[in-house]
Amino acid sequence: MTKRKMFLRMITASLVRRRSRMLVALLAIAVGATILSGLVTIYYDVPRQMGAQFRNYGANMIFLAASNEARFDLDTVRRGVACIDAEELVGVAPYRYETVRIHEQPILAAGTDLDGAKATSPYWHIDGEWPSARYEVLVGQETAEFLGLKTGDVFNATWSSGEEEEDVLNLGVDMKVAGILETGGSEEEYLYMSLSDMEELAGETEKLDVVELSVSASADELKAYEQDIEANVPDIAPRLVKRVTESESTVLTKLQSLVFLVTAVVLVLTMICVATTMTAVVTERRKEIGLRKSLGASDGSIIWEFMGEGLLLGGVGGILGSILGFAFAQFVSVHVFSSSITYQPALLPVTILVSVLVTGLACLLPVRSATEVDPALVLKGE
Amino acid sequence: MSLLELNNISKIYGDLKALDNVSLSVDTGEWVAIMGPSGSGKSTMMNIIGCMDKPTSGAVLLDGKDISKESAKSLTAIRRDKIGLIFQQFHLVNYLTAVENVMVAQYYHSMPDEKEALEALERVGLADRAKHLPSQLSGGEQQRVCIARALINYPEIVLADEPTGNLDEANENIVLDIFKQLHKDGTTLVVVTHDPEVGEVAQRTITLEHGRIVKDALNANFKEA
Ligand SMILES: Nc1ncnc2c1ncn2[C@@H]1O[C@H](COP(=O)(O)OP(=O)(O)OP(=O)(O)O)[C@@H](O)[C@H]1O
Ligand SMILES: [Mg+2]
Repeated sequence: MTKRKMFLRMITASLVRRRSRMLVALLAIAVGATILSGLVTIYYDVPRQMGAQFRNYGANMIFLAASNEARFDLDTVRRGVACIDAEELVGVAPYRYETVRIHEQPILAAGTDLDGAKATSPYWHIDGEWPSARYEVLVGQETAEFLGLKTGDVFNATWSSGEEEEDVLNLGVDMKVAGILETGGSEEEYLYMSLSDMEELAGETEKLDVVELSVSASADELKAYEQDIEANVPDIAPRLVKRVTESESTVLTKLQSLVFLVTAVVLVLTMICVATTMTAVVTERRKEIGLRKSLGASDGSIIWEFMGEGLLLGGVGGILGSILGFAFAQFVSVHVFSSSITYQPALLPVTILVSVLVTGLACLLPVRSATEVDPALVLKGE
Repeated sequence: MSLLELNNISKIYGDLKALDNVSLSVDTGEWVAIMGPSGSGKSTMMNIIGCMDKPTSGAVLLDGKDISKESAKSLTAIRRDKIGLIFQQFHLVNYLTAVENVMVAQYYHSMPDEKEALEALERVGLADRAKHLPSQLSGGEQQRVCIARALINYPEIVLADEPTGNLDEANENIVLDIFKQLHKDGTTLVVVTHDPEVGEVAQRTITLEHGRIVKDALNANFKEA
């Protein structure tokens, strides 16, 4: 038998046959490692999770026409959208604005892809239904009040087809209020209809003023997309909605530093717990240490034997912790963000390494004190 | 040249002279019993011979080399290489089996060798208890494991402090028989004891009182086994 085998046999026997003592230390390490790997998993998953949450607050990117007068067409929009990873694209809503006359009043009308608007603006609250048929519209709350319109009302809307007021006004069409739009914002001043209705009534197709996009990506990724589109589709001037992207990254930074802080505190607590347990273990085993010394054990071998036990505990605790940590992260993710997370395999070695390091550090002082045991004193009969 | 020589050693704790100018020499193969009342300095002397402690003054020669001024580190090395210790309280590692306890001594000395450790246990009549933990062994059996451990590295000198202090008559006799066999094989033995019966079987008896040797005599009744 080699010395290394005997070393392993001794330290595993100590851990296995003295279970109850070492269980406390193991538990501390496993809990520490669980929190560590759990929080780190969440730490890396939070941007994705929060990104999805933030998409509820509306578009975070818009396309404008690159030159002032020009409007762009759907094909250009498609080329711009193609630059964005389809997986990350939550919704695209193109908008075209025209003035209509209702009850002799000029009202701003927006033609859009209603499904796209629903996806990019999940916060829109509709009193009634989303339009589903031709000539059905959403009326903003303010405009509805101004015109005295309610859900289900039918009204006549007329267009001026040219620039001049005197141009022949068409006879207008009867449109139906499918729902009243409440957002608390400027959207309440508008009238929303499908793009096809608008193109039919206002003439001219494929003339868009602005496109709203909701993209589930970090602030940095969005910036990359912005540059990419700017470079590849010169007709589009992409802009990030700073209000949304910046508050998103601020919240993320705060959340991540919180996770970081909690992890650090937990690691320190683990270290204190392991150090306390190891100190108790060394005190409890003074006789054994004295005996080993009387048999000729050098300080170095005493240190290595106790360190060996500590590091083995650290390793086992780390393995336990990374398994439990994933379960913990999964639990948090499902309950807080209602979505599951993907396992980060790289986290296993990292967790084990950190547990071993933390345990090793925690063992330093107790193990040093083990070498100070005087065999003549502890082996004396009582 | 004698194996062990104490030249005017004293051990002083505060104003207590645990050992007071003691001189003694022990030859290779000798079996010496150290007797005396409690507090007379027997254990103190054993600790100094066993390199677990240093005298306040005087010289300790082991193999002609003065060890009284050695560093703790080299004392550890001398313990490992030359000395076999047997204690009254056995002192086995409680989570290791009998054979593993013997192997611990091999581990620090040179190479663990399970076969050799088993043979050592066989010599003290414990072949069938090798895989037992100390808690599963009787006091006598535990002491025999200690003896096997003390002998495994062929030490130049075996020191036993009250080896039968915690044993009953039957186990005491087993241990004494082992000692007789060791003596026959040429091992140098120094045994501290209160027990006249244990003292009697030795070749030579030294009596301590108040840290001084008051009697040093060969045992008339001693017979080689
Ligand atoms: N570390 C110490 N510090 C102070 N005094 C000590 C120490 N060790 C021993 N003594 C004292 O030295 C004297 C001799 O002690 P020692 O242990 O050698 O006695 P002993 O002959 O072995 O006694 P016993 O038969 O009871 O074991 C005692 O008076 C004891 O109190
Ligand atoms: Mg004593």
